[in-house]
Amino acid sequence: MNILELQHLKKYFASQKAVDDISLTAVQGQIFGLLGPNGAGKTTLIRMITGIFYPDEGQIFFDGKKFDPINDVGAIGYMPEERGLYKKMKIGEQTMYLAQLKGLSRKDAMARIKEWFIRFEMESWWNKKVEDLSKGMSQKLQFVTTVVHHPKLIILDEPFSGLDPVNSNLIKDEIFNLAKNGTTVIFSTHRMEQVEEICDHIVLVNKGKKILDGSVKQVKQDFKEHLFSIGTDAMPELTDHAPFSITGQKDNTYIVKIKEGKKPGEILQFLLQQGADIQSFNEILPSLNEIFIRQVGNTPAARQFETI
Amino acid sequence: MNKISLIIKREYLTRVRKKTFILSTVLFPLLYLGLIFFSGYLANTSGPKLNLALIDSSGYFTKARIDAANQKDSFTLFTLVSGPAESVKNNLKKNGFDGYFIIPDSANWEKPLKNITVRTIRTLSPAGAAPVHAKLNSIWNELKNDQLGIDADKKRILETSSITIQTADLENKNSQSGIAGIIGSIAAVLIYIILMLYGSQVMMGVMEEKTNRIAEVIVSSVKPFQLMMGKILGIGLVCLTQVLLWIVFILLIYNVTALSGSGDAMSGMVGQIQKIFTGTNMTLIVFCFVFYLLAGFFFYSSLFAAVGSAVNEDMREAQSLSFPLMMPIIFSMLIMGGVIKDPSGPLAFWGSMIPFTSPIIMMVRLPFGAPGTVAWWELGLSMSILILGFIFTSWFAGKIYRTGILMYGKKPSWKELIRWGFRKN
Repeated sequence: MNILELQHLKKYFASQKAVDDISLTAVQGQIFGLLGPNGAGKTTLIRMITGIFYPDEGQIFFDGKKFDPINDVGAIGYMPEERGLYKKMKIGEQTMYLAQLKGLSRKDAMARIKEWFIRFEMESWWNKKVEDLSKGMSQKLQFVTTVVHHPKLIILDEPFSGLDPVNSNLIKDEIFNLAKNGTTVIFSTHRMEQVEEICDHIVLVNKGKKILDGSVKQVKQDFKEHLFSIGTDAMPELTDHAPFSITGQKDNTYIVKIKEGKKPGEILQFLLQQGADIQSFNEILPSLNEIFIRQVGNTPAARQFETI
Repeated sequence: MNKISLIIKREYLTRVRKKTFILSTVLFPLLYLGLIFFSGYLANTSGPKLNLALIDSSGYFTKARIDAANQKDSFTLFTLVSGPAESVKNNLKKNGFDGYFIIPDSANWEKPLKNITVRTIRTLSPAGAAPVHAKLNSIWNELKNDQLGIDADKKRILETSSITIQTADLENKNSQSGIAGIIGSIAAVLIYIILMLYGSQVMMGVMEEKTNRIAEVIVSSVKPFQLMMGKILGIGLVCLTQVLLWIVFILLIYNVTALSGSGDAMSGMVGQIQKIFTGTNMTLIVFCFVFYLLAGFFFYSSLFAAVGSAVNEDMREAQSLSFPLMMPIIFSMLIMGGVIKDPSGPLAFWGSMIPFTSPIIMMVRLPFGAPGTVAWWELGLSMSILILGFIFTSWFAGKIYRTGILMYGKKPSWKELIRWGFRKN
């Protein structure tokens, strides 16, 4: 089931087309990666999904119905990139306040906060103030305030920045857990290795436009360059009807490019026929990082101002 | 609506629980009273005691007269000395004098005695010279009375036969303009202080939310306008709590001292307060005070919130941007004196209509009497304009706020803020 559907969303600011005709769909329980260079329009897009901005044009459907910011924000959890909490407010009270703002009753909020505080071993924090917490600790607290009301859609903007590996894993596990229980997670980051590890589906935006949309596997397939790496002591002489050509070599590992219309099995067949001793053979798929750089690398690093 | 009440509750509780709130609520009236008493005490007791040498060449100022005058008024001391002025002048310090003056031999009791120069070691201010002037005059009058043969009885008749007048307008039996002026200026000063203090509290609160980046989290749960109004209403309630506590405080002191009824300074003040309570329509004034305080606060605080949303961490930016907001508040204080002098003139009228100044100026005018000095329609019109005014400023500020709260970077100018305010959608 589609939890979120954006249709031709547009948002123009005075000097920039921040979001220029973006459509996408996120289904229930999916971990959705929203990628893009700085200034691509991710934050603007997220602000429209969280009801902070109204789109200039286009439609948002949430949970099958037209998005109604006033009522639907209770089913959305949003953790912005720039973390924010009241520094002077006690942690228990603050979590309670934010949960109640999301529409929870005091009783429900209390029960859920306790549950999360126990899970994250934060019980002793209740009467402390945020200013007493370290960066990583306040990050955990921020995550709890984002998910405490059991939202159907969670939007996390760079959720791991500032966390050590142990706490990173803790939050990562929770993200998987939430997704397993049917929550959709939109995950915005620049860290491609995390995307590869966590996300089911990615969308890449640049200059306000969507330039890529698909499952992680599919995107990698789409961008593969038909390269294989072959580990062998001696590469036999290549004849004209060899199904591949060599593009690189390092020690005993050869990078080869398969010829048009040939299948990977034919490479092996050819090598075996030539009596080569094959130690390893695998397909080289581009990492998301490479795809990202290839897709947006040729655009200027800083987005230019334009007149609309 | 439920969400806005949550915000109000948070804003209210976090502020009221603070130590600074409790301290300022208790200390402010004490400080205020202390200041009044202290300045009164200073004015009464510590006038400089001057010891002046008097060189009389006319023979009018006899030792008997001077002694009698010294007995009546001991603030300044005159001592008759003889000898050339030059030697008196040189020996001033040695003989314990602060200065000297000479009555010329040309003095004539039938003519005014002009241009007596009092030369002192330290410079004498006009206020310091006043008692010398008064004392000399009283001796001079005494002298004239003697010359004219006016004895004590005739003198009493002369002094008691002056005419006194009282002012009263058509509606009020008697308007006590002196007391009215005092009440008016106390109310005005209070509103001034509260607008400044609580206005900047709203601004700081908004800045805190923006720089802590909590604003973005909150506006993903509530509308920015709700967040702004929640803050303003919450702080407004804090302000109201404080003022009500002060009113209770005053009533308490009033009752306690009235019961004890002792003749000390306190009950003298209480007597004054009692006179004020009976002499003016206190219910109306207290009601209007609370109205103008809150309405004025709402009028200004949403603008302060808009400024807070537009700036970044930098306090200097906030100060320079909020200065234009403080100008009309300060301006109200500047024209207050003129309004007290002529509480129904055009300055007073327009000052109490324009919503930028009306919270202060109307409170200056009201104690002079309604419907005497301030007609009912004027009061009604002024209140309506102020209400419309704060509806407009909160709408206008809400739009600036919505843009500003999520905008980081360069400080916008007032021109840009106004453009944000009038932008559609």
